[in-house]
Amino acid sequence: MQTSIKGTYQLAGRSESHPASAIIFETGQVIIQHLNGESIMDVWPDNYQFSDVIPGLAVDLVLADGALFVPHDKSYRWPQLTSSNLLAEWLESHWLVVLSSVLVVPLFLWSMVNYVLPGAAHAAVAFLPDSIAESMGEQTLYILDKTQFDPSELDTKQQQHVSQLWQRITTQLELPDDKYQLHFRKFDLGANAMALPDGSIIVTDDIVTLMKDDPDALLSVLLHEVGHVEHQHSLKMIAQTTATTMLFAMMFGDIDGAGELILGAGTGLLQTAFSRDMEREADEFSHQNLPAFNISPAAFADAMTLLANSHSLSDDEESANENSDEDVSDNEDQQAIKRKIMHWLQYLSSHPETQERIDTARKKGEENSELL
Amino acid sequence: MENGLSSDRTDFVKFSGKSGEYFKLWFVNMFLSIITLGIYSAWAKVRDTQYMYGHTSVDDNSFRFLATPMQILKGRIVAVIIFIIYMALSQMSPALSIVMALAFLVAFPWLIIQGIKFSMRMTAYRNVRFSFEGTYGGVIVHFILLPILGAITLYLAMPWVVQQIQQYMHNNITYGGKHFEQKSSAGQYYIAVLFSVGIALIGGAIIAAFGGTAIAAADGGLSLGLVFVGLASFALFGIVNAVYQSIIYNHLMATLEIENVVSFDAQMKTLPFAILVLTNILLIVVTFGLAIPVVKIRTSRYIASVTQVTIKPGINELINTVEGSDSALGEEAAGLFDSDLSII
Repeated sequence: MQTSIKGTYQLAGRSESHPASAIIFETGQVIIQHLNGESIMDVWPDNYQFSDVIPGLAVDLVLADGALFVPHDKSYRWPQLTSSNLLAEWLESHWLVVLSSVLVVPLFLWSMVNYVLPGAAHAAVAFLPDSIAESMGEQTLYILDKTQFDPSELDTKQQQHVSQLWQRITTQLELPDDKYQLHFRKFDLGANAMALPDGSIIVTDDIVTLMKDDPDALLSVLLHEVGHVEHQHSLKMIAQTTATTMLFAMMFGDIDGAGELILGAGTGLLQTAFSRDMEREADEFSHQNLPAFNISPAAFADAMTLLANSHSLSDDEESANENSDEDVSDNEDQQAIKRKIMHWLQYLSSHPETQERIDTARKKGEENSELL
Repeated sequence: MENGLSSDRTDFVKFSGKSGEYFKLWFVNMFLSIITLGIYSAWAKVRDTQYMYGHTSVDDNSFRFLATPMQILKGRIVAVIIFIIYMALSQMSPALSIVMALAFLVAFPWLIIQGIKFSMRMTAYRNVRFSFEGTYGGVIVHFILLPILGAITLYLAMPWVVQQIQQYMHNNITYGGKHFEQKSSAGQYYIAVLFSVGIALIGGAIIAAFGGTAIAAADGGLSLGLVFVGLASFALFGIVNAVYQSIIYNHLMATLEIENVVSFDAQMKTLPFAILVLTNILLIVVTFGLAIPVVKIRTSRYIASVTQVTIKPGINELINTVEGSDSALGEEAAGLFDSDLSII
């Protein structure tokens, strides 16, 4: 019993090739011969292998010296192929395997990004020595001082006023003085406060001026920043970003062109989602600790309102002028559309929607007053 | 010799990959990689590349990918370790990140050379392997010094710089020990840039004019106007990109050859290519990435269908000159650090 198949005999290490046929015996012996019957090779299983079995492609007979016999019939599968040779191709075409793959791959990505990696990042951060947070904080402040910040122009009275608020926080929460430090800086991009991983809290001149009549609001903002430090947000962010970038690079590293562009955008969106979660956590830290100072969490809502107004002042003035001639209903329509757009835009932002933050703080404030 | 070739044979590149078939292969391989904690990814890469190469044929001979999974796995493990250290250190300390960036700058030319060399040497056509003979100095000149020159001339020299880079890459690819010759001209790159910038400006002006009136005219219909501007900008991006790519691709193919072995030609057209790229992006976004394998097949099929290869008599006398025992580290690291370059 023998089979004969037609194909191409490809010489080893050179481009020369000839039309040929292969005669396969049950013993595993293969004779390759020219079309006129003249023998080229007579080989036994010890002297040949097969190329990988790939869907839709011919399986080449690979001789010990590297010469090939390529069957013309791409669907031909040699009788000598073992089930392990054929396993991958079988898996790749079996509907059940394909179906589970299409379900498992997205599910895996989703659970990694939402649960596994954040969990691992949080666990890993606990093991990092304090010195890392310290040097990160120092270097970041140094770079910000060189590029973004100018020395504060507040007078001593204003600074003292804020320092007293700060003193209340460190005493009440028993924060170590050598770790937590308050810094005053002038910053061109307006009212803001930020926390560095080592416990340095920076307030800009503008936010101090903005909240000079509302010390409770400023205190709630400072608590929010302390929340970032206490939760080790900077380090968690780094661990999480590193891990997700890694995962995406490993799974989709081979993709280029349009796919790469979209994957890049995807990781960017994920990073902002992480950031939004952390902002919410810091907000909550502020809400929870405010009552200890006899201040309602609603103070944080006031702070957010003040900040939002100070940042969008110029925009609002313009739109107010534009809309002044139109009737009220039109204006409301426009507002509704604007809100819808803002709702979608929040997925691009590193912070949750301001209105959401204000509402949450107000709600906490009401709950709190009920308790009292 | 039965298949002796006395005259030139010209035909289009044939791509026989099927979306459905490849979709299954891609997802099952991804699945197996996940459940083996990434180990299988080396086998997956080999099978994936073998599929794409094997389904690409010229003159009835298909390409073969000869790397072994173990080669890929070793390179991948080392690359992943380096990548983790790089990411972690550079994020933790802004000062260290500058040092790391400098170290990366020094390693970058080496990465590029090793990466391309590996993928070329693992590619064979008719049992003869390709190779890459770029040098460290050559890569520094073309990938670091020339781009700096391009930037300080306010990008006026940039089209010339890009032409030089692509010419350098292609000239250093060999097949059976014979060098490819890329005789491209910078003039075509300037023409491509002028055309695409011109179309971008005109298109942008039209969108701004129509979009502006649409938004102003529709009371409360703000969102419709925005949708129009968004879609029109998306289409304009596709067309501008396609104008540049088609001019450059056609020019590169027309001026590439190995004397007496092979020459090329291409008829990529702007509109079909623009539609291909735009529909690819839409497919990926709408399916949340599930369509990635389909997009790869569509793209390969289109590129093959517009590319012509002329096989010349000299192709029958080529001798393989390269071994296949290289390390995959450069190629794997290049993939992770996203500095891998697609050739042609």
